[in-house]
Amino acid sequence: MSIMEYNGGSVIAMVGKDCVAIASDLRLGVQSLSISSNFQKIFPVTDRIYVGLPGLASDVTTLHEQFRYRVNMYTIKEEREIEPQTFAQMVSSTLYERRFGPYFIEPVIAGMQRTPSGSYEPFIAATDLIGCLNFAKDFVVAGTASSELFGAAEGLWEPDLEAEDLFETISQTLLNAVDRDTFSGWGAVVHVMTKDKVITRTLKGRMD
Amino acid sequence: MARRYDSRTTIFSPEGRLYQIEYAMEAISHAGTVLGVLAKDGIVLAAEKKVTGKLLDLSSVKEGGYGGSGEKIFLLNSNVVAGVAGITADANSLVNFARQAAQRHLYLYNEDIPVELLAQRLCDMKQGYTQYGGLRPFGVSLLYAGYDPHYNFQLYHSDPSGNYSGWKATCIGANNGTATSLLKQEYKDDITIEEAIKLVLSVMSKTMDSTTLGSEKLEFATLTLDPTTKKPKAKIYRPSEVDELLQEQGLAKKEEDDKSA
Amino acid sequence: MECSFAITGKGYVIVAADTTAAHSIIKVKLDEDKIKTLSPHLLMAYSGEPGDTVQFAEYIERNIRLYQIRNTYPLRPSSAASWIRRALADSLRSRKPYSVNLLLGGYDTSTYTPHLYWIDYLGTLTEVPFGAHGYGSYFALSLLDRYHDPEASLEEGLATLKRCIDEVSKRLLVAPGRYKVKVVDKDGVREVEI
Repeated sequence: MSIMEYNGGSVIAMVGKDCVAIASDLRLGVQSLSISSNFQKIFPVTDRIYVGLPGLASDVTTLHEQFRYRVNMYTIKEEREIEPQTFAQMVSSTLYERRFGPYFIEPVIAGMQRTPSGSYEPFIAATDLIGCLNFAKDFVVAGTASSELFGAAEGLWEPDLEAEDLFETISQTLLNAVDRDTFSGWGAVVHVMTKDKVITRTLKGRMD
Repeated sequence: MARRYDSRTTIFSPEGRLYQIEYAMEAISHAGTVLGVLAKDGIVLAAEKKVTGKLLDLSSVKEGGYGGSGEKIFLLNSNVVAGVAGITADANSLVNFARQAAQRHLYLYNEDIPVELLAQRLCDMKQGYTQYGGLRPFGVSLLYAGYDPHYNFQLYHSDPSGNYSGWKATCIGANNGTATSLLKQEYKDDITIEEAIKLVLSVMSKTMDSTTLGSEKLEFATLTLDPTTKKPKAKIYRPSEVDELLQEQGLAKKEEDDKSA
Repeated sequence: MECSFAITGKGYVIVAADTTAAHSIIKVKLDEDKIKTLSPHLLMAYSGEPGDTVQFAEYIERNIRLYQIRNTYPLRPSSAASWIRRALADSLRSRKPYSVNLLLGGYDTSTYTPHLYWIDYLGTLTEVPFGAHGYGSYFALSLLDRYHDPEASLEEGLATLKRCIDEVSKRLLVAPGRYKVKVVDKDGVREVEI
């Protein structure tokens, strides 16, 4: 039994044309016993950043609270909101601080990054449980259904999807991947972000 | 001889007084006025700015940050705004401490800090400087306007000695006596936020040195509940918004005054 | 073996825990109260390693009480749950972690809503409409998936709880014999007989 698979759960993020999407399932279990069908693993960081934290449920809460604290202190000191790129480094260093007794979480970050010209471009990143960053241009996956998600995303994703098409792509990818994983499922939540707004939808999926 | 009991902040005089604390409070009564009024559906804070002049660089207050020009009114947490009177440098350090205390509470209990608890946290620190030797006390009084689910909207005042108290309407800084008596006359229970804004601006216009109000002399903030989320929403007015508000209330200065400013 | 259940209903939370204290395979006590009243509107059922359970529960009880004395009002259920979770999460990465599982039922007097939190020894926290710990959870959770109604009256809620207890008694080889049942609602905490 692996600690990473103890509670179950998966997260995926995808890049579209001037938009990004991040989605996760809603299950919390203890091995094969399901406890909750409304366990959020994705959290808003600012108006333009979301972070997904699949892994050990205890550390999901611990890290969410710790990131919220650090981001708020950053906002107070800098008098501006944190950028996705900067937040990704914060995630990485927070995890690496525990290099020899890690948090059992593999975070996924999605956001709209401000460019020097003042426009916004999509940003996604993921790290392993000790904070090794992976900046991807297409999609990133993590959690107990990560291999299924890789397969589904590889087949369904294409470049320059508009927000509505990206929503459909990420939803289908996630729902079909978690159906093949015992530890993920029980509904899903999807956030699609453009430069000025976020659309959040809760999906039902197979509730078994 | 008179200085014998002044040299240290923590020595009682023969009459049982702490002179340094009293001097700190005296300093505050010369500082810019800060006024707070509690309404049934929100709180209003207004403050008189002392550091003005056309050479002052205010380019940083036009956008970004929390709004306001950052001299008198600060956002301590998403549910608390504070107005400060006294030594601005001391105030900055207290504001920083308050923000950290609020974040620590959020981290420990996963809730916004109750307003009175935040006032207590600051007062614990302020009181410390009246008892432990070697350092001078904070020369700052604060008004805290906040919301929490325990007692809804609340207005507190704290002084350099570490005393704090809750109010329906109160005032600190220069002319606080005049302002307080005006508030006493005009304040009614069950006042609405709109009436409170009117009251605050009329009292401010009467107590401030200058005859006309303008954004270069005034900071303004409100705390209300967001109608959809039911969460507290602090609004610290930007200079342009202050002028707009004054225009609405008919208290704005006339065009020709601009040239003399 | 140890079993605890809790369910929410219209304006209340019911918390039930078995009353056996065991030493390996021997029952040493049959009327142990494993539900602590943390504050006027907060109940906590605890189970797990004997020794750890009582130590931890008393530590929590006294800290919650201290907060109430210092601030005149008690912590709200959601804040208490977060604080307790942190205590367990910090303990998990200490030299000797507490092995304690909790069900925290409370009534929030500022929003007039009942809340139930499922917490385990790892520091996992989630708000649930119903929850259970121990071997009984394998029977109770599937039963409650079918019969739980968040709008049920207290009588209906107690009847649903009785169903869970009866099912566990019928099917579980090591089922406990007796349970203590407590309710928390707008009027506070009270014990009920079933």
